[in-house]
Amino acid sequence: MGQIWNVFIALFVNVLIWIYDVVGNNFGLAIILFTILIRIVTWPLNAQQMKGAAAMQELQSDKDWQAIQKKYAKDKEKLAQEQMRVYREKGINPFSSCLPTLIQFPIIIALYQSIIRALATTQLDLLKLSRSIWLPNVSELIPLNSKFLWMDLGHPESVVIFGLAIPTLALIVAITTYIQAKLTMPTSTTPGDQGAAMSGMMSIYMPLLLGYFALTFASGLSVYFITSNVLGIVQYAMQGKANWRNLIPGALKKK
Amino acid sequence: MRKKFVLVSTILLGAFLLSACAGGPVHGSTWPGLATDGNTMYLTDGSVYAVNLNDGRQLWRYPGSTKLIFYAPPAITPDGLVIVGSAGTDYSLIALNPSDINPETRAPFEAWKFSGARDRWVAAPLVAGDKLFAPNSDGNLYILDLQDGRSVKDATVVEISGRLWAQPTTDGERIYVTSLDHSVTAIDANTYDILWREDLGGAVPGSAVLGGDGMLYVGSLASQLERFDPVTGAHQPVLDAENWIWSTPAVEGDTLYFGDVDGNFYSFNTATGSLNWKPVKPDGPITASPLIREDHILVATESGSIFAVSRENGRVLWTVEVGGKIYTTPAPAGDLTIVAPLETEFYLSALDANGRQVWPFTPED
Repeated sequence: MGQIWNVFIALFVNVLIWIYDVVGNNFGLAIILFTILIRIVTWPLNAQQMKGAAAMQELQSDKDWQAIQKKYAKDKEKLAQEQMRVYREKGINPFSSCLPTLIQFPIIIALYQSIIRALATTQLDLLKLSRSIWLPNVSELIPLNSKFLWMDLGHPESVVIFGLAIPTLALIVAITTYIQAKLTMPTSTTPGDQGAAMSGMMSIYMPLLLGYFALTFASGLSVYFITSNVLGIVQYAMQGKANWRNLIPGALKKK
Repeated sequence: MRKKFVLVSTILLGAFLLSACAGGPVHGSTWPGLATDGNTMYLTDGSVYAVNLNDGRQLWRYPGSTKLIFYAPPAITPDGLVIVGSAGTDYSLIALNPSDINPETRAPFEAWKFSGARDRWVAAPLVAGDKLFAPNSDGNLYILDLQDGRSVKDATVVEISGRLWAQPTTDGERIYVTSLDHSVTAIDANTYDILWREDLGGAVPGSAVLGGDGMLYVGSLASQLERFDPVTGAHQPVLDAENWIWSTPAVEGDTLYFGDVDGNFYSFNTATGSLNWKPVKPDGPITASPLIREDHILVATESGSIFAVSRENGRVLWTVEVGGKIYTTPAPAGDLTIVAPLETEFYLSALDANGRQVWPFTPED
């Protein structure tokens, strides 16, 4: 298992270094282009997520669905059973909108390890890097230039303003993750809707979690998060699937 | 409810897995540093350990933390201070006073501290007279006055660029600094002016050495050994290695001994410009510098072995398997050779002249 994981990491490292070489030794740009590549590769998963979210959205106006919400409003166990029945009958997976986000975890972990290995801030990392490279004549490129804009991509980022270290990237990561989660969240007006509750929970946990990662780990990982989130938002917006109303506090309650 | 639990658990597991990639000082995170004053062996392996050379007993431990992590080899000043640089989130360079031990923590008090660096300390500083030349991963060479009596030091900064991972070398007139940005730089030892700066086409993780012929020799990740005129910086490759040259060559008269990460061990004659004998290939990659002993050369390999090689013909005289992986240059201590392997239960192993273990060192709690 460890060997397979190492090959996976090595693949990421080589693609990153190849892009780095092509774009003129800019590792930040390499991460951004690599993220676009990852989004293309994981396109089917994202499509499934959007399809799942749309199905959940349509379900809210379904008469059968609304009827069971009223009928079993005081019996949550029975309501859950009935909701599952409707999901089965209509071929909807209520977790399909969460799954792609969860599948990102191995990619995030692999990318983090790839960035750390590629930037090689310790001697052991540099030696491991030498064994991960399949590309020819890369000794001229090593070590990779870790500077991108105001950041050192191998270290956590912060900007000192009036003596205070502000983790700007961590804030941008949390905000863009929140926006993306909210835009893709199905609008639900029915109490006890498990799928909507799950999506709501994710829209709170994920920004906090990814924001924490951005605060703690190499800023190269934050560049990946932000690029991925922005691409996601653009993708939803261009397809007209984004629920912009979800960004307005209290919009659902008024409805 | 169960699915909600599974979802939250998955997120937390992901957070844990990612968190496991970072963290505090861990034995084996990278290779440790060694230095000795003849009586005590100082080991940096997350924390700083002082070990009695006679019996391998721990004298004290200066603990590492998430902020302070020590792997750079210590430097020892003429008045016995042990200088260690942190690779944690706090990039301090700290002088420990082994003769002034805190009775409560049983760790030495700090004699002084320098907090002006902006990145990790990987290399050992060079002590030259009353000055300390400390290379940092931020690309600067920090020059500190050892005699100013200050507890919070200032430094003269020479901007070299790139990550400086190797101890500088001096011939008294010039200081030679190697960098991962592929360069070798000479600075004036008195004025600190940059005299010359040359590119090697590959990163230089080891130090430059002065050969018996007065020329400067440097190995690099361009897999070449280069010879420099120390005055002008004019240079040319004198040997193509099979792979990256990581280790600093060991010098004995006209001969340089060094290894490469393919596991080849070379003996290069600077007078003739050729190899003394065909490279020998022990059993694994070589990143540690060879150690010249009375009648043989000791070579440490990543495979965890020490090879005693004849200086005359390169024949392997004896081999001992220490275990784990050895990246750190072994340290001589009288008749003993101290080895600091990774991935073993013990942190140090003291070997006698025949390679037999005299004592292992495992840290006390």
